[in-house]
Amino acid sequence: MAGICCGVVREGETSASMEPSSRTLKRRKVELLTYKFIADVAVPPAVECSRKRQKLELYASTAASSTRECCKNGVQSSEAKSKDESEGSHACEALRSSRPVNLRENSASTELVENKILRLENPRFGVTSVCGRRRDMEDAVSVHPCFSQEEGSVSKGCHFFGVFDGHGCSHVAMKCRDRLHEIVKEELESDRLAPAQWKEKMERSFTRMDEEVQESNGSDRIISNCRCELQTPRCDAVGSTAVVAVLTPEKIVVSNCGDSRAVLCRNGVAIPLSSDHKPDRPDELVRIEAAGGRVIYWDGARVLGMLAMSRAIGDNYLKPYVIPEPEVTVTDRTDDDECLILASDGLWDVVSNDTACGVARMCLRAQNPPSPPRSPGSSGEVRNDAAFESSDKACSDASILLTKLALARHSTDNVSVVVVDLRRERQQQ
Amino acid sequence: MSVISSSAAYLSSAIRDNSPEHESFKKFFDCWLSEQNQQLQDLIFTAKSFSSTPVDEAALRSLIERVMNHYECYYRTKATWSRHDVCAMLTPSWLSSLEDAFLWIGGWRPSMAFHLLYSKSGLQLEAPGKLDELIRSITTTTTTTTGQDLADISPEQLSRVNELQRRTIIEEKEISEEMARCQETLAGPDMVELSDMVSEQLGTNNGSIVDDVGEEDRVESALKPREKGLEEVLKRADELRLKTLNDLVDLLTPIQAVHFLIAAAQLHLKIHEWGKKRDAKHHLAA
Repeated sequence: MAGICCGVVREGETSASMEPSSRTLKRRKVELLTYKFIADVAVPPAVECSRKRQKLELYASTAASSTRECCKNGVQSSEAKSKDESEGSHACEALRSSRPVNLRENSASTELVENKILRLENPRFGVTSVCGRRRDMEDAVSVHPCFSQEEGSVSKGCHFFGVFDGHGCSHVAMKCRDRLHEIVKEELESDRLAPAQWKEKMERSFTRMDEEVQESNGSDRIISNCRCELQTPRCDAVGSTAVVAVLTPEKIVVSNCGDSRAVLCRNGVAIPLSSDHKPDRPDELVRIEAAGGRVIYWDGARVLGMLAMSRAIGDNYLKPYVIPEPEVTVTDRTDDDECLILASDGLWDVVSNDTACGVARMCLRAQNPPSPPRSPGSSGEVRNDAAFESSDKACSDASILLTKLALARHSTDNVSVVVVDLRRERQQQ
Repeated sequence: MSVISSSAAYLSSAIRDNSPEHESFKKFFDCWLSEQNQQLQDLIFTAKSFSSTPVDEAALRSLIERVMNHYECYYRTKATWSRHDVCAMLTPSWLSSLEDAFLWIGGWRPSMAFHLLYSKSGLQLEAPGKLDELIRSITTTTTTTTGQDLADISPEQLSRVNELQRRTIIEEKEISEEMARCQETLAGPDMVELSDMVSEQLGTNNGSIVDDVGEEDRVESALKPREKGLEEVLKRADELRLKTLNDLVDLLTPIQAVHFLIAAAQLHLKIHEWGKKRDAKHHLAA
């Protein structure tokens, strides 16, 4: 728990010290902070990604100090890290799950437990998030492996993945990136919930997220130095989509609000785990009109002729027609599951679910051809390490290739892609 | 090499002869364009031969350096001329009206470089079989096939491109703001006062010669700092253009840089050609 507190406090400091400064100052400060916290990054990364990385590391430390269960990550990160250093570059947006090397010692101790944990707890993922052909970056991505360590809580050993696609300005998406995992964690840890309560917990988290966005609109409008202040004082005309996957050892819980999307690749078949909230989706149209709103076709279907999605975090000016309530799906994981793709519409507008799954699947398979299950042992341990490192690379390869494909197909939006490896072939049999 | 020296020759002769600025710059520009065309052929030849037999990396680098030096020569010359007449450099008479319409502070918009990169990269990625080849190259985990063209951009490269793009857009916005401030000073109190004064004088005095001379001096001295301001903005804009090109070329592998420079030269030359043709047609029609 000490680690968790530490992580939260540091984060608080970061955002507090950042807020009253100009954009340039903000960047400089974050760079300094980055240096302080992760001295191993060769090139000062950008604002968003440095914070992201920093947080990843903080959470990894959190995991290390409170429990050993995530410690295997240390090994795989050391690979990724030395690679970063040797190339003198920072794989910033395309970050891998790099975590401090000093976790390595922990991993040698309890092999058996670890092997079990590996299967259950080690997230292998790749993230790519680029500005693309837009002038503003309004996408944000949040990845928090083992984001809750509360003993006995359902969220223990769960991983959090979120993609947020902002509109109007970036600050609601940023806020979701910075806060939603914490809110979800609080909600999940608040009491011992029955599995059936996932829906309620996630809905409540999204409502709280939306409330926080509203509050910040009122209070620290001057503090957040963003584009929308220059253009219009109406900061409530800003919002964000949110697609969040909480990955448990047994389940994939996807909560979606807006037109970002989560797609499961199972045995080569693309299964959407969320359904886009478009104003012309029949049930959404009915809901909007029942609330007294109108959907007007103006460069596509738009709520009141303005917003091209029917649900979002923020967007106070369109309430109650546009709501922050997510649709939640709970999917049991199977041995046929290959990967989960979360992405903003920058990808989905130009790449179909099937194509995306096909590409991601080929990348994962290419890297790691199906091998016979190995019995645990010291040699197996080493092999596992290698496989893990490469598997992470495979996820990165997949996310980057999907991003490049989106850009190749003339995507005009920001493109953010998260690929999570769901395969269990290294599981002990 | 004789071609290279010719645009450089224009530069020195024009300064020496003190000939009418935009006339000489036009000559320089035409000469520079034909050199660019020549270099484009070299780049294309290199890219083609690279696909059959790998070209020595040193040769690639020296070709890239030559092309980049040519760009640098352009901006150096432009800077010299803008010290003489910044207004002419901001309203280039040597360009077609099509190019004029898409100008950002007397040249191409720096953030366009990223669109160019993504578009060319996309073109190469969507080439038949390329996607399969890329996935296969992941299988083999060898790095021999990576960095062959712009479809092979690595995660590290993409993240650096993305970061460079964001920095470039921020700077582009700052320069646009500076331009706005500069343009707004044209309606400053001294200018309004001056225009008001001379207009009223004109009404009462019928404009004597003595007054005209005085007026010219005063107008000149009022415009001087404003032109200086424009010159500064243009300098920053040109620096950003060159820096963006340099930074992009630096983060690409040599052969990727060759592909990028081909795309840049082709687009530049073609848009100039199409623009000139359109102008000729409109001119005939009118």
